[in-house]
Amino acid sequence: MSGWPKNPHQLGKDHLRYDGPIKVRGAAKYASDMQPAGWLYGMILRSPWPAARVRAIDLRPALGIPGIRAAVTANDPPFNVRYCGEELGAVAGLSKQACLDALSAIKVEADILPFVVKEEVALRDTSPRVFENQPNAGEPREMRTGDVDGAFRSADKAVEGFFQTPVQLHHCLETHGNTIQMRSDGITCWASTQGISSVSDGLADNLGISLDKVHVISEFMGGGFGSKYGAGIEGGLAARLSKEAGGLPVRLMLTRFDEALAVGNRPSSFQKVRLGAKKDGTLVAYELESFGTAGYASGGTTAGGGGGAGFPAPYIYTVPSTRVRQTSVAINAGSARAMRAPGHPQASFGMESILDEMALALSIDPVELRIKNDPSETRRRQYRIAAERFGWNAKYHSPGSSQGPLKTGVGCAGATWGGGGQGSEAEVKINPDGSVEVRCGTQDLGTGTKTLMTIVAAELFGLEPADVSVKIGDTTLPPSGGSGGSTTAASVAPAVFDACQTALGELASASGISDPRGSNWRAAAAHLRIKPIVARGRWKEGLSGRGVGGVQMAEVEVDTETGLVRVKRIVCVQDCGLVVNRLASVSQINGGIIMGIGFALYEERILDSQTGVVLNPNFETYKLPGAADVPEIDVILQDMPERGVIGIGEPVTIPTAAAIANAVSNAAGKRVTRLPITPSHVLGLLEQPPQIR
Amino acid sequence: MEEEISRRNFLRGVGASAVAGALAKAAAAAQSVESLDDQKPVGPEPEKLVLRVNGSKYEVEVEPRVTLLDVLRNRLQLTGAKEVCDRATCGACTVLLNGQPVYSCMKLAMEVQTQEITTIEGLGTPNNLTPIQRAFVECDAMMCGYCTPGFVMSLTALFSAKSNPTVEEIKKACSGNLCRCGTYPHIFKAAQRVAESGQSTT
Amino acid sequence: MKNFEYARARSVDGAIQLSTPGSRYLAGGIDLLGEMKEYIVSPKRVIDLKLIPDLGRIDTSSSTWKLGANVTIAEIAKSEPIRATLPGLAEAASEVGSPQIRNVATLGGNLAQHSRCWYYRHRDLHCLKRGGATCYAREGENKYHSLFSGNPCVSPVVSNLAVILAALDAKVSLRRGDKEVQLTVPELYSDAWGNPLAHNSLQPGDLIVHVEIPTPKNRSTYLQVSEKSDFDWALVSCAAAGRKTGDRWFEVSVFLGAVAPIPYRVESPLIERGELSSAAIGSISQSLASQATPLAHNGYKVPIAQALIRRALTRIVS
Repeated sequence: MSGWPKNPHQLGKDHLRYDGPIKVRGAAKYASDMQPAGWLYGMILRSPWPAARVRAIDLRPALGIPGIRAAVTANDPPFNVRYCGEELGAVAGLSKQACLDALSAIKVEADILPFVVKEEVALRDTSPRVFENQPNAGEPREMRTGDVDGAFRSADKAVEGFFQTPVQLHHCLETHGNTIQMRSDGITCWASTQGISSVSDGLADNLGISLDKVHVISEFMGGGFGSKYGAGIEGGLAARLSKEAGGLPVRLMLTRFDEALAVGNRPSSFQKVRLGAKKDGTLVAYELESFGTAGYASGGTTAGGGGGAGFPAPYIYTVPSTRVRQTSVAINAGSARAMRAPGHPQASFGMESILDEMALALSIDPVELRIKNDPSETRRRQYRIAAERFGWNAKYHSPGSSQGPLKTGVGCAGATWGGGGQGSEAEVKINPDGSVEVRCGTQDLGTGTKTLMTIVAAELFGLEPADVSVKIGDTTLPPSGGSGGSTTAASVAPAVFDACQTALGELASASGISDPRGSNWRAAAAHLRIKPIVARGRWKEGLSGRGVGGVQMAEVEVDTETGLVRVKRIVCVQDCGLVVNRLASVSQINGGIIMGIGFALYEERILDSQTGVVLNPNFETYKLPGAADVPEIDVILQDMPERGVIGIGEPVTIPTAAAIANAVSNAAGKRVTRLPITPSHVLGLLEQPPQIR
Repeated sequence: MEEEISRRNFLRGVGASAVAGALAKAAAAAQSVESLDDQKPVGPEPEKLVLRVNGSKYEVEVEPRVTLLDVLRNRLQLTGAKEVCDRATCGACTVLLNGQPVYSCMKLAMEVQTQEITTIEGLGTPNNLTPIQRAFVECDAMMCGYCTPGFVMSLTALFSAKSNPTVEEIKKACSGNLCRCGTYPHIFKAAQRVAESGQSTT
Repeated sequence: MKNFEYARARSVDGAIQLSTPGSRYLAGGIDLLGEMKEYIVSPKRVIDLKLIPDLGRIDTSSSTWKLGANVTIAEIAKSEPIRATLPGLAEAASEVGSPQIRNVATLGGNLAQHSRCWYYRHRDLHCLKRGGATCYAREGENKYHSLFSGNPCVSPVVSNLAVILAALDAKVSLRRGDKEVQLTVPELYSDAWGNPLAHNSLQPGDLIVHVEIPTPKNRSTYLQVSEKSDFDWALVSCAAAGRKTGDRWFEVSVFLGAVAPIPYRVESPLIERGELSSAAIGSISQSLASQATPLAHNGYKVPIAQALIRRALTRIVS
């Protein structure tokens, strides 16, 4: 049951972004744009070695560089570094040029140690250990249901495969970082973050000061995708530099190079999967043995953000007998962080790939096999809707059977996500002139949180969103949570709803107008004279939901002579409960799909075994999808207003890569076994002529 | 410390603003390609130079290695152009140089004296957005917004060369810009809206 | 980037005079500033060439066209005469980088650009090409590297224009001290075949002034395959050009890019004889496989190169 209006006049419509005009003029100020009086430029010195014992760091030459005002070490030597890019120290000065010169001047004495950067090598007992006192492989996570061996024996068909996904980088366009001013009376931090409160906690903890002395501001931020919760090591270094420089503000934003090394990633996966089914398609047995890396801290407690290199298995589908064994293996590389639907895209790729193999083995249409085994009624319905819109029945053909060197193929995949609401607070102020201000200590990652708040207030007050102003991204505002797990919309919208409902009641009694909404608004507000109404609200049950399903279908073209894959079309059917802003929801879904295309075809962090460096710490060879890589995207939002508000930022990126991989396999007549699906991989698959089943 | 700050402010051009009145006119007359010192090396010490940005003149003093992007963002407070890759791959720093889109991260400030530089701050005002900016707002052609100024600059150049580009031409014009939020479909839609409206003039 | 002296040249002579040991010429800046930002090169002096008159001209007044070194890639891609007469050159130019790069990058700079090998370009590595002891790519991550090389370094030439200009028999004019030197495109790169330290045959202080392109070859094309759909380096590129008179073909040449430290000439008696039937094209393409010596991760470039040879020749024939 949902407490939202049954016949909304604002909810669910296309609304323009609250901060669109300021963003298109380049006038929005991000943490990286902050230049408080006296600010200094900050930069970090990073380890060029994948493993080393740092014996000494001499900062004096850096402090001798003209314009340099402060220099600090990341730790007191001696200490160990465990990946290329680990922080050694930092400097602050009057210009970027001074800082660059200072970084080059710092003298570091270190003993270089053996290292390992490939997962399969790190698993060997004879390989160097990332931490001396523990093996690289963490304790495996094991799960079992039923009698797997018996179930495989009873199966009519069994298929198996080995699937591999790379480490994917977040690469938010605004790099990680903060502008921080540390004075004796407290600290002000302009952060590029998904969680102003977690930045605040982190800084207070790191610097040993109380929370009332920490003020965090993030009015605009340039993308996070799971990687921007805390102030980071860079935040701590900036604060120390600021203190060292006598309280001058320090703007320390990472470089693109740093982004590829040190601020998180999606773990890799190597999955050996086996699936058994009855003739009629009923899945009976599933076995997975997988490993992957969440970086140097794999196997420890801090890796992964979303559970190390593990992932949900079996993904989505009900299989009565399962055996799963997942291992996180440490390598000398930067640590993972939560990345948009942690674990799920990897899980989806392995599961949906083996499921398509099963469909072929049983001669069952892939969509029908999914409908048969998917426990979600929502997704089963979505498959029918998607198939209709996509033209699945006409387009699906047996693998590799389209004529000529340019082959077409289709594939599909499904996804699930939680995305429920949690305890956010919000405040609404109704001024005597009728103007309305909504405040919440949340932050807008680009998902449109500000706009959503204006829509909810406008809905309850019978106003237009343009009549409502918004304040967010400040720790002095009513507390909210971090923006992650697709929870922001479902947390903030109910809190605003609650505040507005209370305020509306107060306005009715203050004005004596029983329904002060809409055309009565100004007259009612005028009764307030000089005393505005300020009402607080909090998230409550009944306005948000959790658990969404979505399915996607992909059509691709594969040039079997060059191995090139082009995605022609994606159809996405997505459940998101009550749609608040239809336009922004579509933006969000497009974005998730495009990030999924990157995961499918282009993105991969490449480490060098000989030197331990990241070879593609840039956008030249770490390839993000560009304008010409974007296919026709057809989004069908499945409204279920009775379920309340639910976030969709994450689920929409999950099934894209699996759907594309299945489509490429369908086109090429060979099973795609790894992402990204580059010409190199496709031509490798096609070394033998395509086999027609 | 005060002295320090004021020196810094000068170097960063915090105080640098359009050179006013008669002075500006005199400077304008003097500032032509021919006026630049011939064949005489400058630097590596900071050197004074005048940049023409959005129709105004700014005097800054910079080392030869300082990029146009650095000057715009950190000395002129024109922070609409962003530093994202700093290697000519993402387009977030795109500005127009004599009307043509270029990566300001890969231009030395020294190189672009006497040339007309247009940044996002030179396009539109809060109450009078350009047709492209308006279409971006109307089509929700942005999410986090960090790449947005760069895309607006690239498309502004496209539309000043051609009022009714095809979708393919729109994609080609955006090929030097990256958006990690994945707003491309709405960017294309916005550009098509401008193309169809026939009101591309900025 | 380390600091440097900046000087603006007003003439070719002036540029040569300004050139000192450790100086570098600056045109579009994409390649040079990229190297400087990674500390791969740190010139003491940077000589800006963009205000030299005459270097920005496209002269089509005689049968050999003359393109100044400062002509931008965008100008080449958009030039109507080039599109009509040397379509392969326009195609190659339009595949260079992005609009923002094409607007500043120049013909001279494109030809003189350095290796894009990710080991060479990595700030923390000191590979063979940078004077170190090891070509890491040879035993390491080499999916973007050469199928053919005459030295231990396996980084390939990446200039699109070099490949098509080689096919068009262009000559590159440069100033070497007081002397004017003219090199064929193969000569411009020949040093890179055997010398791991060389990106091309240019000596310090050499200044590319213009490129001369004979126009009798009335058919030309350029094709490349990249991982991304636009704004990406070629995995393999291929240019083909020839003169068709009646039904007969003369002076056909086919070059591959991104497979060797030089534009790699596809040699075949069939090409020499101007035999371009579809069977002949198939056979030309087929012969490449036996010549290549792939590394661990770049064998896939062979079928791509073969497909591009077929497609490029088929395109100029049709």
